[in-house]
Amino acid sequence: MKSAKDLKLGERAIIKDIDNDHPSSRRIMELGFTPGQEIVMLGSTVFNDPIALSVRGTIIAIRIKEAACIKI
Amino acid sequence: MKDILTENKVSLITLVGPPNSGKTTLFNQLSGKNYKTVNYPGSTVEYSISRILNKYSINANILDSPGIISLLPSSPDEKISVDSLFSHPKFGVPDIVVVTVDASQLSRHLYLVNQLINSNFRVVVALTMNDLLKRKGYQVSVQKLSSILNCEVIKVNGKSGEGIDELIKAIGRQLKNNSYEEGRAEISFNNSSHDLLGSYKKIETIENEVLISAGVDDKNGTIDIEKLNEKLVVLNSGRSFARPDEFTLKLDKIILHKYFGLLIFFVFMSLTFTSIFWLAEPAMEVINELFSYLSEEAAAIAGDGWFGNLISNGIINGVGSVLVFLPQILILFLILGLLEDSGYLARGAMLIDKPLSKIGLNGKSFVPLLSGFACAIPAIMATRTIANKRERLLTIFIIPLMSCSARLPIYALLIAFLMPSDKPWLGGIVLAFIYLFGILSSLLISSLANKFSKNILKVKDNSSFILELPAYRIPSLITVITRTFNNAKQYILKAGHVILYLSVILWFLTYFPDTNPDIQIEGKTEDEIIQLKNSERISNSYAADLGKFIEPVMKPMGMDWRIGVSLISAFAAREVFVSAMALIFKITDDEDNLQNSLLESMKSAEIEGTGIKLFTTATTTGLIVFFVFAMQCLSTVAISRKETGSWRIPLLQIFVFTAIAYLLTLITVNGLRAFGIN
Repeated sequence: MKSAKDLKLGERAIIKDIDNDHPSSRRIMELGFTPGQEIVMLGSTVFNDPIALSVRGTIIAIRIKEAACIKI
Repeated sequence: MKDILTENKVSLITLVGPPNSGKTTLFNQLSGKNYKTVNYPGSTVEYSISRILNKYSINANILDSPGIISLLPSSPDEKISVDSLFSHPKFGVPDIVVVTVDASQLSRHLYLVNQLINSNFRVVVALTMNDLLKRKGYQVSVQKLSSILNCEVIKVNGKSGEGIDELIKAIGRQLKNNSYEEGRAEISFNNSSHDLLGSYKKIETIENEVLISAGVDDKNGTIDIEKLNEKLVVLNSGRSFARPDEFTLKLDKIILHKYFGLLIFFVFMSLTFTSIFWLAEPAMEVINELFSYLSEEAAAIAGDGWFGNLISNGIINGVGSVLVFLPQILILFLILGLLEDSGYLARGAMLIDKPLSKIGLNGKSFVPLLSGFACAIPAIMATRTIANKRERLLTIFIIPLMSCSARLPIYALLIAFLMPSDKPWLGGIVLAFIYLFGILSSLLISSLANKFSKNILKVKDNSSFILELPAYRIPSLITVITRTFNNAKQYILKAGHVILYLSVILWFLTYFPDTNPDIQIEGKTEDEIIQLKNSERISNSYAADLGKFIEPVMKPMGMDWRIGVSLISAFAAREVFVSAMALIFKITDDEDNLQNSLLESMKSAEIEGTGIKLFTTATTTGLIVFFVFAMQCLSTVAISRKETGSWRIPLLQIFVFTAIAYLLTLITVNGLRAFGIN
């Protein structure tokens, strides 16, 4: 299953599921990453990690490892 | 539970809200910026409390709590914030909870409101950032939102003060409202993601209902056709309120650009870094001169007995050594505040997260580390934003290795000794090299400490970096300046005490036993006589005894008791090293400048009874190495103890860093000698 970490710059996707096993998964959901929401990959750094995702009208920077919980 | 601040009939209003929701700006409006900051007992979670301004004629205290996004805490600090919302040990249970909600982030921020209402708090919603939402072509129907949530909803603008009066009225109404059942439901929802998703589903329905076109007059339901047409394009593009701010999106194309982003980051950080030094320098000079003037005046008034000396050398110079760093601290916090409030700092933290995570730190460690170049004290206080305890402790651990500004005068002196005076640019290169050496060493020590973190830091947990990148905006000067002054106040209060007491203790050690030495006074000016007396006094002082006691430790490094005494003096504050050296090496500073005459006597100084030069290329380089590593600032130790909550980290800092300093100095001095460099 693809996840948010596979998104390319400018690519959009709808969240299908959040992986519940990761310790950060609840915080990720609380910040607004819930199934059905649209996310857009807005940018990254020269190190390609973390990435910036837009969700619910805001932008969240998140490490690749944690973005992997956001299934699309 | 009762306290002066919570005396009878004064209600408690707690301000709650997610980060970046305009909570602090609103707090400043209500408190008139006249607040005091209190720590939650035994922790570093900070609260600001203030009486609500008189002009609002409401008898209540307002408590600004740390930003939270949920009542289910994710970190120890968040747990304290949440627990104290239910019952603060000092201020009790809030009568009213005012929660700030960013109107352009409605669905995300209503999540917390929902939790608060479910926990039976009396909630008043302060809707902020309505202008941002309007730019997207929307507004919130206050009436609808209020009736759905069954609580008061007020639109406010924290910057202009618009809507504050109405907010106060709403608070007043709620205070008089007795229809509430007492008792909080201590988090009546559980941890399951099912509940969380259900909550979000409910909020999404609310959001769809209350968000109306910006053209509609919310009060009487009429429609301004012209405005509506303007917004039609936006409305046709679907759920456009779910898009981030357009301006922010455009700017982030550059700032979050793979390569430009890095370039901009370096430009901003070099500007910040250099201005800490260049902008502060004139002010520091003024403070220095002011205090040496005061010190001279005091000595003239109080005489040159022990009392006059205590006032002029112990106390006035002590206060001066605290205040001299104030310009740097003010400038640092001002710039950081501007960068933070404009929304850039979060992006900077994101950019540097990856490399810092390699050595066990976090993107959020960056700002504290940068601050460490000015002064370790505010830097250690700034680590509070790091949620992960292991990363926070590690950041605090290595902050003393950042070359703070107190080391500058020492490096300046030692470099001047090493370098030919006709090539001043060479000194600059050496100084840059020392900074680089310090940074690289701290990275190495950090990654080593991280490897053994189970033993050193005794914390193991999930490392995480999830940070909201707020919409860009023009910084609120009032907020930034208020925070800057508050930080400066904390520095003076927390570090000031320690530095002052230590200066007095050191003064005592270097002054007593007050022998009245015989000196040749023939052909000498009055100033020279005083100076010589001072020198004789310190040579016979308790500090000298201490220096002679540690001489066996100094010898392997090619140094003697005099450098030992100067190093001991440097424990009050590093820059004291230079003035201690001046005293010990009997410098008279009437005409010549202090540094030149100090350099002269350094050149001629010999290890007593041996004829071997004391200051050589080897020993001076060794001294520089020593200052790069040694944990010499006792105020840093004090703040490290306070912020980490135990003696573990500060003691480790003292022993580990001083041991490294000693060993490396030993290796440097003897290594250089082995290569024939004396």
